[in-house]
Amino acid sequence: MEQLKTIGRELAMGSQGGFGQSKEFLDLIKSIGETRSKAEEDRIVLREIETLKSRLSSPNTPKFKLKEYLIRLLYVEMLGHDASFGYIHAVKMTHDENLLLKRTGYLAVTLFLNEDHDLIILIVNTIQKDLKSDNYLVVCAALNAVCRLINEETIPAVLPQVVELLGHQKETVRKKAVMALHRFYQRAPGSVSHLISNFRKRLCDNDPGVMGATLCPLFDLIMTDVDSYKDLVISFVNILKQVAERRLPKSYDYHQMPAPFVQIKLLKILSLLGSGDKKASEQIYTIVGDIIRKSDSTSNIGNAILYECICCVSSLHPNPKLLEAAADAISKFLKSDSHNLKYLGIDALSRLIKISPEIAEQHQLAVIDCLEDPDDTLKRKTFELLYKMTKSSNVEVIVDRMINYMISINDSHYKTEIASRCVELAEQFAPSNQWFIQTMNKVFEHAGDLVNSKVAHNLMRLIAEGFGEDDDAVDSQLRSSAVESYLQIMGEPKLPSAFLQSCILVLCVCVCGLFNFFIYLFYRSFVGSWGNMGLQMENILPHILPGNCVTWQRLIRQMT
Amino acid sequence: MGIRFVLMVNKQGQTRLAQYYEYLNIEERRTLEGEIVRKCLARNEQQCSFVEHRNYKVVYRRYASLFFLVGVDNEENELAILEFIHLLVETMDRHFGNVCELDIMFHLEKAHFMLEEMVMNGCIVETSKANILSPIQLMDKAA
Repeated sequence: MEQLKTIGRELAMGSQGGFGQSKEFLDLIKSIGETRSKAEEDRIVLREIETLKSRLSSPNTPKFKLKEYLIRLLYVEMLGHDASFGYIHAVKMTHDENLLLKRTGYLAVTLFLNEDHDLIILIVNTIQKDLKSDNYLVVCAALNAVCRLINEETIPAVLPQVVELLGHQKETVRKKAVMALHRFYQRAPGSVSHLISNFRKRLCDNDPGVMGATLCPLFDLIMTDVDSYKDLVISFVNILKQVAERRLPKSYDYHQMPAPFVQIKLLKILSLLGSGDKKASEQIYTIVGDIIRKSDSTSNIGNAILYECICCVSSLHPNPKLLEAAADAISKFLKSDSHNLKYLGIDALSRLIKISPEIAEQHQLAVIDCLEDPDDTLKRKTFELLYKMTKSSNVEVIVDRMINYMISINDSHYKTEIASRCVELAEQFAPSNQWFIQTMNKVFEHAGDLVNSKVAHNLMRLIAEGFGEDDDAVDSQLRSSAVESYLQIMGEPKLPSAFLQSCILVLCVCVCGLFNFFIYLFYRSFVGSWGNMGLQMENILPHILPGNCVTWQRLIRQMT
Repeated sequence: MGIRFVLMVNKQGQTRLAQYYEYLNIEERRTLEGEIVRKCLARNEQQCSFVEHRNYKVVYRRYASLFFLVGVDNEENELAILEFIHLLVETMDRHFGNVCELDIMFHLEKAHFMLEEMVMNGCIVETSKANILSPIQLMDKAA
């Protein structure tokens, strides 16, 4: 079936004239599609590069041919090769009068170049001109380009025109002008600080597209300065109400949900505005409750909105009825067969934990299932939940699990993250010093290279100075158990060297704890070379603490 | 609110469309695309449609031979992005009629134009299929 369709399309294309693609293009696409190895693909692309280099350097190429070459250049880069020899042609194409050619030129430039590229300066003039065009589609093409290519330096060149376009008669122009202004705000907030009121105005635009677009910059603004926008809570609630009551045109429906992506944006904004603010929250409760009640849990998008509602509820000032509704929704997510919904359920659970800690208890079994699921994404999410659920009564079990998981991870970025979490939880909730040392040792053993060395030094200082125990017997017992465990670990063949070094230092500190002078000495030699350190220890220590001579000799032998 | 990139990559790891909202050079893109496709290929259909990658997330959805991959910041609603991918496919479907990988290959710029209407500054700005396709249809007519 696929093959028939392919042949059909090829026939259709072959019959097209100048605006269709050439046979050469078709052949290129076909050959790229049929390659079975990277080497083969590279050969084709390199050949294509040579072809394009010669074609592009010859004068008087018809414009639509040039367009095709540009697209072929896009392919070259998409397949991982450099096409910078052709960038200037993309720039030139943006000057063209023909809309399709111009837009293709802009597209190519936005894909090839980043905003700081030298060639951008050649386009700014074109953009300025196009922003003033009578053809609104040309204006739109220019606004698209503004959002990709204008940086802090070039903002002044286009700002006045963009502001004017905020009042353009065509809604699609206004929408893109809003996003252009958003772009300026992202790149240089100061450049538009006097224009912020425009975002408020466009929020009330007749066109839902413009209104919806305005939510993007407003979200960013509210994130940085929530208090200045509290007066808009009522407006946002009203807009959300209108959307949920299906008063937007049907073309914004998606799978029977009215403008769901707009609803989600609004819910995110309301979460920000209601967070930690009882009065603002009270204005939001009703609409969120309504949306939860009317939600469609049979479709993905319906569940996406429901999930967003739960997130909103968890940031608003606590409302028992809403919390109950949220808990019900979470139950359904966790009971679902869909891993996506389980994932959202776990995420929502970790948000509600702060407000209703008991909710975790209710879903213990479901949480454990997720923890043991082979799906790595779900597992990770569940560990995040566990991290938030940890207290002194369950820290041992949780950290134990986390460490086991950490050992199984290959990705060093993630391993570091889990290791830091383990350390954090151990430091915060450790039920006993013994457990604390053992746990930290395990973390160092398996992720020693990744953990911040500061953590290791803190641990050592803790052991050296004691844990502030008044009972000397307990303290020295602690130290000797630490020494024992380190000696044991050092006996193992494969250890990250950073950890080995930490062990040695701790041992030295433990044994010579009372002799600060020696600590200093050992630290000095530790920072120096192994040989030095061994020598120092060998010479000095046995005289100070003869009882531990055997221990030290063992240690030195292992080091050298 | 951040979409970092939208990719269409087939299961052989060949990129069919790449739109980055935060600039990466060619080498970085190649590495990223390879890594992500490998991660997604290692997962089965029952598992989540989301993977964590570095310090952000990738929402992915497979249609026949093609993976649609959207990189998003951690604050994004993953399920909504999953449906955004579907909306994109439905939109392309409406324009191309039963869209397939070849359509995207033969009409790469059109696919990009559609995406340009839908996402700006890494935010979803247009979700009405009529509004997304109208500039493209008008351009076709004028050409």
